[in-house]
This record gives sequence, C-alpha cells and structure tokens, in this order.
Amino acid sequence: MATIRAVRPFALPAPVRQLILSSRPAFYSTASSPAPPPQSTVSETEVSHFSDLASSWWDPHGPSRILHLMNPLRHTFIQRCRSRHPDSASSEKLRYLDVGCGGGIFAESAARHPQTKSVTAIDPTPQVIAVAQKHQRTDPRLMEPGRLTYLNTAIENIPLPPTPEQGVDILTCFEVIEHIRHPRPFLAQLLPHVKPGGWLVMSTISRTWTSWFTTKLVAEDIMGIVPRGTHDWNQYINVEEMKAWADKLPGWGSPQSMGVIYVPGVGWREVRNSESWGNYFFAIKKDA
Amino acid sequence: MSLRLLSLPCEARALALKQLRAVPARSFWSSTASQAATKPSGPEIYDVVCVGGGPAGLSLLSALRSSKSTSHLKIALIEGQDLNKSQQQYGSITGYSNRCSSLTPGSVKFLTDIGAWQHVNASRVQPYHSMQVWDGVSGSSITFDPQPTRSAPYPGYPPTNTSSTIATMTENANLTSGLFTHLSTLPPIDIHSSTRVENIELGTETEEADLSSWPIVTLSSSKQLAARLLVGADGQNSPVRTFAGIPSRGWDYGRMGVVATMRLSSAPGGDARIAYQRFLPTGPVALLPLPGDMASLVWSTTPANAALLKLLPKEDFIAMVNAAFRLLPVDLAYMHTLSSGQAEEVAWREPNTSFSHMQVPPKVVDVQDGSVAPFPLKMRHADTYHGQRVALIGDAAHTIHPLAGQGLNQGLGDAAALASHIEKAVNVGWDVGSSWALEGYTAEQWIKNNAMLGVVDKLHKVYSAESGPVVWGRSLGLDLVDKLGGLKGWFMRQAAGGKRGRGHKAAWMPRLCGRILHLKQLKSYNIRPHINNRRGTVEANPLYLTPRSPVEVPQSSFQPIILSLNRTITPAPITI
Repeated sequence: MATIRAVRPFALPAPVRQLILSSRPAFYSTASSPAPPPQSTVSETEVSHFSDLASSWWDPHGPSRILHLMNPLRHTFIQRCRSRHPDSASSEKLRYLDVGCGGGIFAESAARHPQTKSVTAIDPTPQVIAVAQKHQRTDPRLMEPGRLTYLNTAIENIPLPPTPEQGVDILTCFEVIEHIRHPRPFLAQLLPHVKPGGWLVMSTISRTWTSWFTTKLVAEDIMGIVPRGTHDWNQYINVEEMKAWADKLPGWGSPQSMGVIYVPGVGWREVRNSESWGNYFFAIKKDA
Repeated sequence: MSLRLLSLPCEARALALKQLRAVPARSFWSSTASQAATKPSGPEIYDVVCVGGGPAGLSLLSALRSSKSTSHLKIALIEGQDLNKSQQQYGSITGYSNRCSSLTPGSVKFLTDIGAWQHVNASRVQPYHSMQVWDGVSGSSITFDPQPTRSAPYPGYPPTNTSSTIATMTENANLTSGLFTHLSTLPPIDIHSSTRVENIELGTETEEADLSSWPIVTLSSSKQLAARLLVGADGQNSPVRTFAGIPSRGWDYGRMGVVATMRLSSAPGGDARIAYQRFLPTGPVALLPLPGDMASLVWSTTPANAALLKLLPKEDFIAMVNAAFRLLPVDLAYMHTLSSGQAEEVAWREPNTSFSHMQVPPKVVDVQDGSVAPFPLKMRHADTYHGQRVALIGDAAHTIHPLAGQGLNQGLGDAAALASHIEKAVNVGWDVGSSWALEGYTAEQWIKNNAMLGVVDKLHKVYSAESGPVVWGRSLGLDLVDKLGGLKGWFMRQAAGGKRGRGHKAAWMPRLCGRILHLKQLKSYNIRPHINNRRGTVEANPLYLTPRSPVEVPQSSFQPIILSLNRTITPAPITI
C-alpha cells in the first residue's frame, strides 16, 4: 500500500489539541468566513490524496476494500428511505447524480441496478475519474448509451435543471462531506439538482471520541484498514448538526438516518442508534 | 495446444497451426480454431455461462430463473451430452438407473423451494426413515431411527414422511430430468446441448468495451460466448477450474465403488424403509432402498475385488452381495480369490456364521442386467471456489468418498449458496462476476464442505483397520453414540443438512470462521484468495498464470473436456 503522506507523528495529540483550541464545530465555521470562490468547495490536498489512491481503487484486497464492502448498505438505505415514503417509491426507473463518485464504486452499482434509468457521476480529481472510466469499460452493460456518465468536474459546474421536475430522483454524496472544508455552501449547491419528491442521500462520520478512536487511531494508524491521512477528524459532522441544518432548509423534510459499524472479519453492520459512534447515512426528501 | 492457440501472436499461431496439421486431426480441435480466429463478430455477451448440465448446474440455473431478482439474467448452458435425448432415454427406461443419490432433507427443501421437486417423478423416488450401520469386524452397530418431532400432537404419533425422513433415494437421471423439465417452464435460457467447450481464454480490449477480464468460451459449434460469470459445473476434471488456475488437492483412495441395481426378497422395513451399511476392511458396502423391492448397491472395495465382481456370473454376484452383509471379512477375502462358484461357497458358509437377522437387509434375489459398474473413489478439494469471473460448483469444486452419501448434496448446497449470493449481488448492483459477489460464496460453502470432506475421509481411514486398538476405539465410539440419543440426533441433523434453505441467512460465526480458516488454508499454500489472471499482473502471482504458450499446455489438459462432459466414460460417483 502506498504511503499517502509522510508519516505523521503519533496522531493522538492533534485532535486533542484541536478539540481544546477550537470550540467551534467545523460544520459552522464557514458561516463567518467570506463566500468561497466556485472551485473552493474542493480542497487541493484532498484531490491529491485521492489521485494517489486511484490505481488501487478496484483492487478487491486494496485500500478501498472497506468502501466496496459498505456499498450494499447504501442501496439498503436508499431503498428504505423510498419505501418509508411511498409517494417517492414509484415504479419508474430512477435517475441518479453521484457527487464525489471517486473510482465509481457506488455509481457503477447504481447504474447496474435493475431499478435505475441513468447515473451521472462527478468527481473533481481527474485521476479517479480516469480510473472510473477505465473500469466502466470492463462491463459492456455500463457502456450502454446514457446508462453511466462520468464527468471530471465539481458540482458548481453542473448546469441546474431547466425545470425542477427535470432534476434527479436521487442525489448521492457518499463519504464526501468529511473531505470538504466548507460543507454548508457545498450542500447548498447540491439541493437544486434534486427534483421534487426526490432524495438527497449522504453518508459521513460523526465527530466523536469513538469515531476518532475507530477511524483515525484504529483504522488508519493501528490496523491500516484505510490509508493514513484519509480522514481529517475535524471535518467530521455529527448527525445532530446535520439534522439541525436540515430542519432549517425550506422545502425539505423527512430526515432519515442509519448508523453503521464495521466489524473486521464480518463486514459492515447496521447498528440501531449508532449514528453518533462513527459512520452514518443521512437523507432528506425534497417536498413534492 | 489448440487450447491456447487464439491468444498467440499471428506468426506463432500460423506456426502452431502448421505443426498441428502434421498431427492426425482430433475431434476436439478440428477446424474451429481457425474459423474463430477469422470470425469478425465479437462474442455474445452473457451474464452467466454454466458449463455442465448435471444436477449442480441445472439446479443453479433453476434457482436463478425461479428468483425474481435473477430471472432476467441472460444465461447460457453448455452440456456435452444431448439433454433432450437423455430426457427421452430416461422416459423409456426399464428398471432403475444404477446412478442413484441419497438426497438429504435440506437438498429436497432447496429443490422444493425453487419449484423443481414437483417435476421429479415421485413414483421413482424412495424416502427412507431408518438406517442400520455396523462394523464388519467387531459387530458394533448404530441404528438411526426416525427422530421424534417436537410438533407431534401426542406421544407415539406416527412419523410423517417429511419430518422423519433421513434421506430420499433418487436416480440422478430422475433429478436432472425434473430440473430440465422445470427449466423448460421458466423464461428460456440458451442451451447448447451436445456441444463441447473447445477453448476458454480471456477476452480482448476493443473500441466498445474492455473484455480482458472476461472468459470467452469457444464452443465446438464455433460460437463464442463472453461470460460475466463463468460457472464450472463441469465435473472432477473441470476445464473451467483449469482455466481459472485454481489448484485442486487430495488423494485417490485406491478403492473402487461398485454400483448395481438389486432386487430384494422383500421391501426393507416395510413402510418405514431402512438403509443398510456395513463397514468392511476393504470399504463400506451399502444397500439403499428404491421403490418396491428394489435397492441400490454401493460397494467400496479394492480395484482387484471390483474387477472380479464386475466379471462374476449373476448368481455368484448376488451371493457375494448377500455375503457382504452377513459373512466374516475373512470368508469374503477368500471368496474374492475365486473366479466363480461363490454361490455354493455362501450356501454352506452362511448357515455356519452367526449374525443378527435384525441387522441385515432382506436377501438379494436378483441384479438388474448391465447395472454392475465400478468407478474410482477419490478425495479432491479446490483451494477456492471462485476466481475472477469464475465460480466452481459440485464435483468441479470437490469430490468426496461416497460413504456418507454427501457428494450430490454438497453440489446442490453449492448451487443454492451461489444462487443466493448472485441474487444478493444483483440487488445491490454488484457485478455478479466480481470478487465482491463471489467471495461470500466461497466463505459460506468452502469450510462446510471441507469439514464434511475431512470427516468422511477420517471415517474411511478409521474403518479400513482390520484389527487392533483402532477397531476397539471405533467400536466403543459407535456403541457410545448409539446409546447417547442427543449426540446421535446431532449427528443425524448434521448429515441431514435440513437447516439450510434458500435465502437462509447463515449465522455470522460459522461464516467468520469459514473466512478465517479459508484464508489460513490459502496462506499455507502461499497464494492469494483472489485469482488474479489479469494480464500484466500475472508475474506477481505465478500460481495463477494461465498457460499461454502452446508448449506449456500438457497434452493431458485436453482430456478433462472429453472426460467431464462425456459422462458415459466416467460415471460420477454414486452417493448413498
């Protein structure tokens, strides 16, 4: 496994120091800062980090293995959201926009799913889009016109749908927000792409002691399940913060969440009320 | 040589073809290789290509077609025999086929769940409810009686067929015929019957798509199929397993199984049928009930004895079978040295031998003409059940000694597990040929089958002893288990495999153990579980290097295709 960044000193002091020095949660930090220029929802270091990961993205035993294993739960969560609100569970095939698609783990699976009409997947890192497009070519089904389209761009550059009804049924943004320095303006840019009755589905990690222990100390430093430097704990967002943000959003509702935990050797498991422990899914529905 | 011909550069191919022309034409290479090389159109793309139309392959396809999630998959079946002809032949059969299997309740449940069991000819299957097993050297015995079911309304309630059946005897042909009929009622699959696999190799990258990870199967009809998932249900010498470079390990027992269809003086056990098995030092001999007074014989013995049994006149063969359940091993050993006259020997030896009349089956009175056939016994286990876009099921993955009657049941278990993992993969959008979709299948089935292979192998070894502490120990063990009802019930449940149904969620603990043990096993062979035969990375994994140069392919690698798809040459082991 390639070492992504120079090995840092033992990670313990950094989050502790951050916790003491910064009383403001990262999620709100953008509120007082000036509006970011169009490209700035994406940080340069994140782009370079993921381009280093690109070559091993589809290696079943590579560093992205854990993301592949999580993928079925994303479909479980989307199906659950839609089934809880029957008005959005129409039999029509679905259109997806996957933001921060990486090597295409979710985008491919969504495009292959029998209930899918089309998937557009975007990522600002050129190397991972190249990996995604290369891997797309290994499945003729995904090469059918219009089934799966990758774009090397950021959400700012995607034209808004001419009418709200032409938005997508499902906008997904998995394991992305924790890599974004200013999540709120980023999320705000996602919202207009969803059609009324559609869903914005996200997943991220809670900023808690347990998540620091599991995702930074155990996963990165001790067991090396994910490459060192994958996560910045300070950019994690708690589920309460997400809910508070969603409550203030006009025209959106029905927030849903699902906490999941990775058990080495067993895989990802849904654990009720574990949203604050670490990884969780979160979704909101645009009013029809 | 022709097996890898298409992957060669042009000059080398021309040279190889030139060399081949000097060799007398062999039916399996014929002219198809050169035709395919010039064929402009690409291979036809399938989701699942199954090589082998035996019980495992057919039940997998039945399961895929009968499930809502997987019924839309584009499926092809390749079978060396003419399936329609086999179907007709079975329809006009007189007597019973000598190739029978004992289906566990778990297997019958799976077949019922997928809707195939109703197409099996019920008048030709025979459930049995009790089993008599004894040691031919010490006489220690164990009786497996119907288990009392908890749902019985009152004590002594007569056992019903479903709740107390130990296993159900069926001819393999009855099962395949039922599965084939069932498939014909479902959305059609592309069946390439009486067609051989000429060649399997990885595809190429073209303008439209990159098929370099896809197995391309070239048929004897020169048609080419690209497989998202290539299933090897192609028997012990699986060409699919050879293609994937998955090693299969094990040993030959140096024993033959002699099968025959017998007529008994009466139906054993009346309504609640009994199966009989006696462990002789040369191997176990078993008589399994078929409908009426018929029974299926499986006699594991030395190759010399097997050869003699095959040649014996009818009345001497019948006498030997009766003797195998009644006389002392020393008498049997002596009679195996005679070329004929066994009937007279048994006539005076039997009255002078003491044995329990309760223990032995009714007398054999006849043997069906032409039904006596020997086949070699062996143990084999593939290191893994999946590779890149490849999965192995049934005898392609494992071969087991028939003494516990688990061979076909393991194959059906593989089919059930693989079908459920494919279903799961489809529902979450995984590529059904990817390691993500398939690794769960290996984890679930490999450890289960490995445990069964190990137990059966040890049983064979323990019962091969003729005297000494091993005999005392095994007799004590058998007597003890016979007296401990709970332990006996546990053994029976393990053998019955009744708990595994379709869509059954295996407990996480065995799955975790399976994963760990399987990885450990692979580690001891110093190989990675993922079969990496992508070009460019093969050097890193020499074990998975698929031979590409014509000189590297040994002549014997042609044989599997012929042997495994032409079942008349090597009958698959008949399980009891």
